[in-house]
Amino acid sequence: MIITKNIKMADVIHTNYFTLSVLNRFGIELGFGDKSVDEVCKKNNVDVDFFLEIVNAFVDKDYFPKKHLQTFSVKLITDYLQKTHDYYHKLKVPEIENLIEEMVDSCYTQKENIVLLKKFFNDYKQELLNHTHREEKIVFPYTLAIEKAYNSEESDNSVIELMETYSIEIFQNEHDNIEEKLLDLRNIIIKYLPQPKNSRLCNKLLYELFNLEQDINDHSRIEEKVLVPKIREMEKIITKRFAKK
Amino acid sequence: MYKATFIIIEKSYLIRKGLISIIEKIPNTQVIQQFDNEDDLKTPANFESDFIIINPNLLNANTLNIIKKITPSPALSACSADRSAGRRARKTQVISISEKSTVLTKEFEWTAQIYLDDTQNSILKKLNTLIGNRETKNVKSEVPEEISKREIDILKNIALGYSNKEIADKLFISTHTVVTHRKNITRKLGIKTVPGLTIYAILNKIIDINDTGKSKS
Repeated sequence: MIITKNIKMADVIHTNYFTLSVLNRFGIELGFGDKSVDEVCKKNNVDVDFFLEIVNAFVDKDYFPKKHLQTFSVKLITDYLQKTHDYYHKLKVPEIENLIEEMVDSCYTQKENIVLLKKFFNDYKQELLNHTHREEKIVFPYTLAIEKAYNSEESDNSVIELMETYSIEIFQNEHDNIEEKLLDLRNIIIKYLPQPKNSRLCNKLLYELFNLEQDINDHSRIEEKVLVPKIREMEKIITKRFAKK
Repeated sequence: MYKATFIIIEKSYLIRKGLISIIEKIPNTQVIQQFDNEDDLKTPANFESDFIIINPNLLNANTLNIIKKITPSPALSACSADRSAGRRARKTQVISISEKSTVLTKEFEWTAQIYLDDTQNSILKKLNTLIGNRETKNVKSEVPEEISKREIDILKNIALGYSNKEIADKLFISTHTVVTHRKNITRKLGIKTVPGLTIYAILNKIIDINDTGKSKS
């Protein structure tokens, strides 16, 4: 189903409850009665078109009217991406850590194995942190600077210098596959870990891992399919403008 | 996990979606790319696929060129050493999608024809046969493969933190062979990263937990 402005916000969640996390990131709280997507977005000062694109891309992997989404400002996109970073670090990762911790505590027969998982996830957490940190410190500011230069008529040299030291191409090339390790962890738990007695916890952990992986995939998709092409286009135009001078 | 991959080249949205929904009914298949017009096709296609399903009416110099790029000639894939290790030694097969009356050009070998008035079952049957042939030819069988003794040796060294080069020197084999083994290990276990492989090695008592990280000292 493609979500549109006039659909009830409640129905968006009924259709796919994963959208809850998207709502969360836009700062939209539950309890909106029968209000439509449009109304709820207005009330929360959310750009409704941007919301629709993100939520549709989230629900349906194939849905990606790239051209449409390209019209949004870079700031809107990086703000959203920034919020997904916060969501990982403040919510998802601690949740998973707690689950693993609980498994360690409640486990008598194979504590050492669970401790291994814990260490693995801990390393992963660090990797994820480095990854998002790099985006926040280098990539996002770069994209915003490019947008600013693109929008202003006069091109000054500083942005050209900036483009000489960094480009979105570099980001794309070094954008590593951050979900790979999650897939490994999933496989280890499903296929190889001697099952601890508490299958409830184990299932819960797996569920959370699937969830995080899906979310990170979606996040990367927005970066690679929206942010990168958009910036690359802007870079080209800025370079051209400068060459003309 | 072995996955049969498809590329669909067809103008009609309805037909593309229909094909995808049928293909997805077959386990371990994936449509990796779909094109609706020639403009899209101009983008460099350096992906690999097991099957291409194309509407013969879209065949022209441009699409032919793209298909040739996706389909390495058998001679080429046999001699390119770095590919022999992976799954790419296989040949991409081209399937047509058209009306029954459409005449197919003989420019290359069509492995199967799907007709617009085929029932779902007959399409499934055609595709299953193709995928089945491919599996028996190339992967031998889908029974879960155990990792071999040699692979365990390699795995042990990976888990201990040695690099490909170091492992190659230690075991008197080429780095290339190490890479091949690693690919096979990853395929068999479904684990890609070094930390993941390390956990597997510990869980299966291939190394002891206290051994990790020693190698660099």
